[in-house]
Amino acid sequence: MYNLRAHVLLCYGGACISSNAGSVKEAMEKAIAKAGLQNEVDVVTTGCMGTCELGPIMVIYPEGVFYQKVKSEDAEEIVQEHLLKGRVVKRLFYKKPKTEEMIEMFNDIDFFKLQKKIALRNCGIINPLEIEEYIAADGYMALGKVLTEMTPQQVIEEMKKSGLRGRGGAGFPTGLKWQFTAASPGKQKYVCCNADEGDPGAFMDRSILEGDPHSVMEAMMICGYAIGADQGYIYVRAEYPLAVERLSIAIEQAKKNELLGKNILGTDFNFDIEIRMGAGAFVCGEETALMRSIEGKRGEPRPKPPYPAQKGLFECPTVLNNVETFANIPYIILNGADDFASVGTEKSRGTKVFALAGDINNTGLIEVPIGMPLGTIIYDIGGGIPNNKKLKAVQIGGPSGGCIPTDHLNVKVDYESLQELGAIMGSGGLIVMDEDTCMVDLARYFMEFIQEESCGNCTPCRQGTRIMLNILERICQGKGKMEDLDILEELSEQIKQTSLCGLGQTAPNPIIATLRYFRDEYIEHIRDKKCRAGVCAELVYSPCSNECPASVNVPGYLAYTKEGNFKKALEIHLKNNPFPAVCGRVCPHQCEAKCRRNDLDSAVSIRSVKRFMADSIDDYLKCFPEKQNSNGIKVAVIGSGPSGLSNAYFLTMLGYEVTVFESEAKAGGMLTYAIPSYRLPKNIVEKEIQALSRYGVKIKTNSKIGKDITINELKKQGFKAFYIAIGTGDSIMPAIEGIDGNNRVISGLDFLYKINNNEKISVGQEVVVIGGGNTAIDAARTAKRMGAGVTIVYRRTREEMPAEIEEIKEAENEGIKIQLLQNIKSVKSNSNNKLAVEFLNMRLSEFDKSGRRRPVEIEASLFTREVDLLILAIGQKPSLGHLFDKEAIKLNRDGTIFCHSHKGETMSEDIFAGGDVVTGPSTVVEAIGQAQRAAEAIDKYLTDGRKEYPWNIMDEIEVKFDPEEEPVDYERAKNIIIPVGERDSFTEVEKTWDKVTACKEADRCLRCEFKKEEE
Amino acid sequence: MTVKEIINKYGNKRENLLQILHDIQNQSLQNYINEKEVNLLSKEMKIPVSDIKGTASFYTMYSFIPRGKYIIRVCESPPCHLLGAQTIFKAIEAKLGIKEGETTKDGLFTLEGTSCLGICGVAPAMMINEEAYGNLNEEKIGKILDQIQEKESN
Repeated sequence: MYNLRAHVLLCYGGACISSNAGSVKEAMEKAIAKAGLQNEVDVVTTGCMGTCELGPIMVIYPEGVFYQKVKSEDAEEIVQEHLLKGRVVKRLFYKKPKTEEMIEMFNDIDFFKLQKKIALRNCGIINPLEIEEYIAADGYMALGKVLTEMTPQQVIEEMKKSGLRGRGGAGFPTGLKWQFTAASPGKQKYVCCNADEGDPGAFMDRSILEGDPHSVMEAMMICGYAIGADQGYIYVRAEYPLAVERLSIAIEQAKKNELLGKNILGTDFNFDIEIRMGAGAFVCGEETALMRSIEGKRGEPRPKPPYPAQKGLFECPTVLNNVETFANIPYIILNGADDFASVGTEKSRGTKVFALAGDINNTGLIEVPIGMPLGTIIYDIGGGIPNNKKLKAVQIGGPSGGCIPTDHLNVKVDYESLQELGAIMGSGGLIVMDEDTCMVDLARYFMEFIQEESCGNCTPCRQGTRIMLNILERICQGKGKMEDLDILEELSEQIKQTSLCGLGQTAPNPIIATLRYFRDEYIEHIRDKKCRAGVCAELVYSPCSNECPASVNVPGYLAYTKEGNFKKALEIHLKNNPFPAVCGRVCPHQCEAKCRRNDLDSAVSIRSVKRFMADSIDDYLKCFPEKQNSNGIKVAVIGSGPSGLSNAYFLTMLGYEVTVFESEAKAGGMLTYAIPSYRLPKNIVEKEIQALSRYGVKIKTNSKIGKDITINELKKQGFKAFYIAIGTGDSIMPAIEGIDGNNRVISGLDFLYKINNNEKISVGQEVVVIGGGNTAIDAARTAKRMGAGVTIVYRRTREEMPAEIEEIKEAENEGIKIQLLQNIKSVKSNSNNKLAVEFLNMRLSEFDKSGRRRPVEIEASLFTREVDLLILAIGQKPSLGHLFDKEAIKLNRDGTIFCHSHKGETMSEDIFAGGDVVTGPSTVVEAIGQAQRAAEAIDKYLTDGRKEYPWNIMDEIEVKFDPEEEPVDYERAKNIIIPVGERDSFTEVEKTWDKVTACKEADRCLRCEFKKEEE
Repeated sequence: MTVKEIINKYGNKRENLLQILHDIQNQSLQNYINEKEVNLLSKEMKIPVSDIKGTASFYTMYSFIPRGKYIIRVCESPPCHLLGAQTIFKAIEAKLGIKEGETTKDGLFTLEGTSCLGICGVAPAMMINEEAYGNLNEEKIGKILDQIQEKESN
């Protein structure tokens, strides 16, 4: 017997083995032997530890240091440094997603810290191949207790008291199931273990069988004793050869130790266990099908009743529980039902194991108390969504389950709450999906799955799902009809009602759930032939263009720019968006987030190429599309921001006579009066507006509708349709004391307006800006340029700030402080002409409808700060004033205009609306996109419309491209940013590239649109 | 083992049919169950040939036609689907010149899809005979297949 001073626990679960844990084991043993430590250090291979994507993983005890992604080459260093010299190997530590913070100890990692392990209590801790290790962890103690201290009825009572419910999906109380089977007449009874787990993606059963097989066997024996059975079967999927192997070893060892067979532990209890292997049939997870398969027959389900408790395997009373259910049982017997029942919720006791998969930072297996909020599982344990993408939905319960959208992140994950939302617990597959998932495609995928797995026995499941699949395929190809949605709903209901078994009865669930929460996406596929996630190949020209709200042909202008044909490039851009120079500066460039080049190295710098292209041509006039024949019809556009001007431009293109009315002295809206010139110089805005004027758009400034002239008067002047695009000019002010009429308090918009209008305003020495959006950042950076010390105060954390990341970074570079998790409470004026502003500290609590955590005040955290100027930039709303009669237009609750279509149609047939006045504060490019769609609606209203609109046609790109050729291999070019020290007050911070840089960068485009044209 | 020996190992009761079929197929170098074996099985177990075939064809893993020595099973379950199982299929198809369900001319590989392999943490994943591979990409697949081809050519 050696005195071991350290244990190296190496995860030997299926996933880690596939990541070469085997070679790590060999290398470690070799290195340990080489260092002469073989009598002091033991390498223990364990079952799954849970963090599969970090594998191979290793925990070294006694300290509990956690190493991830260990390679065989690392073994030498681990032995030499950690085991010999006691110095940890930092580079192998776990890194927290986003913050990259390194964490040393196993128990300090959020993924493990928040878990509660009952079913998985031995997984990742003991070596599953050694029965002694199981016994040392109190294994077979529960069996001993049951056989020597309890009657079968007492065991059943204990199970009932524990509140344990079946973990296979349906959640039937385990104790009751046992009681029914025990009470059924018959001499021969059976215990079956369902290890043909339900939902794909839920691999807890495999992990338990591989990591702790004895606990399942022990539980089956306890069950056998309770119901009077002497034979058990474990039905394992053939896809899990490793589980079968380890289970076989465990059975052998138990037999050798006389824990299986006759007279177990010296009592008169006999029990035997056999393994039965499946052969690839999903439906065999259904209990009646599974039992038929054990009998050596086709695994077709049969109607119930009779239930297995009356007539199960070989027509005898049978208990059938799933692996995870069984794994809980020895714990319950040893620690008592009360201990177990103290975890979880009123109706759902204990814990549940979930398999986290999909678009989430920490994938793997977790066990948590039932009732934990979904958001906690995803963000705290799962570490959130990778690559700064947005969460879209969580799929729970596999093909029989449903999906939960982000507005329900607070849902307590238990059987009942999930059901209310149209999902099910299932066996615990939890697939996280980000914004790049198409929900229609997801439904199609699940239906395809069901089609393949339907056993064909009953017609609704066999034929009904076929019809549904055909419809979904059509929708994904852009060939769907609106009636299809009703047919899908009707069929779903029928298949649910009339199918024979659980597989068919739950088959429509993915469709029902996606239709319930993501109907818009179905409609977009059918009506607009658009797949917003960019998944459905037939509907996607290229990922970048698909993402662009104005559908600009991005590969097109990149290709011509690469060739040096800037005129042609600009022509392509102008067809969809008349503001390339503006967007080349202030567009949040969502297109780049979708660029396929991200998978290779990094996205094409689309915005900077665009900027160069636009700046290289002074006179746009020759590049605008030819105007269609004039029809002489007059249209009035109210508001000369990007949406109003674009709409006027698109209608001019179609042959209308358009006049834009602007209440201010200059056109441009927010471009002119809000965005500071260090970001968007005024001459750039003027250049593009002048080009539009020369194209034919008439602009009347200083004319406020409702004051200088009314809509009715315009109608009398012959205007036939109206496009309202007046933006959101009113600031939302918080309801707090001391801001009304205070001249040291100003809204972000007013502040920026005054600066852009060259009005005098003094900022003093200390400025505080409240808010986290682009207006807040613009105001802060402007105040900083005026010489003040500036602090931005935001009530949530950085991750929730709506402003663009680049803008936030630049603000900090310029010396602006950002105080997070603070909010303003009240304002008082001090005698020294300063403001005494009271702040509160905040913390994030539960998730709100937007899927973000709600900030709440921390009690007694009040503090006061003296400031010279307080800028409030917490939100904006439309300022409709006396624009039109109240009856003419319906408003939404937030004051925006209600449109009954995505094309900006309002409740009055001749009034259309678009841009921020409809969406609330949004982006320039979104406003332009809306202007396009509204132009189509206006055209349809006035002239019955036309077949095609120029901006919807993707012109063929006549630039040679060889798909066989390797893409150019250089990295994304950097933007030219003037160093902070050299920035003067209001000149532009960023500079336009030279020709060589722009052409080279454009050549990085992978031409994703290409294949499509070829086909 | 002969078919008879396999039957004796489990006993000739009906309930053992699936295990016996597994064993027969596993020892076939071409991963299938041939006509002769089915007939023998029918005689020994007293189950009609039609019943044996009807039962076996219910399950996707049995085959009555010859397959490759190595069966590549690409996981088609949702986590793998979301992380690009289709591109994995394409990469293998391109590398081996076969489509799903087909066998290479040299009889080495058959490409199939499979339901969940349960190693979703390392999706996209596949299994070649009983060996599992995760975190796949084109490069990794190339290496894995090259290794097998090299091993077999020796």
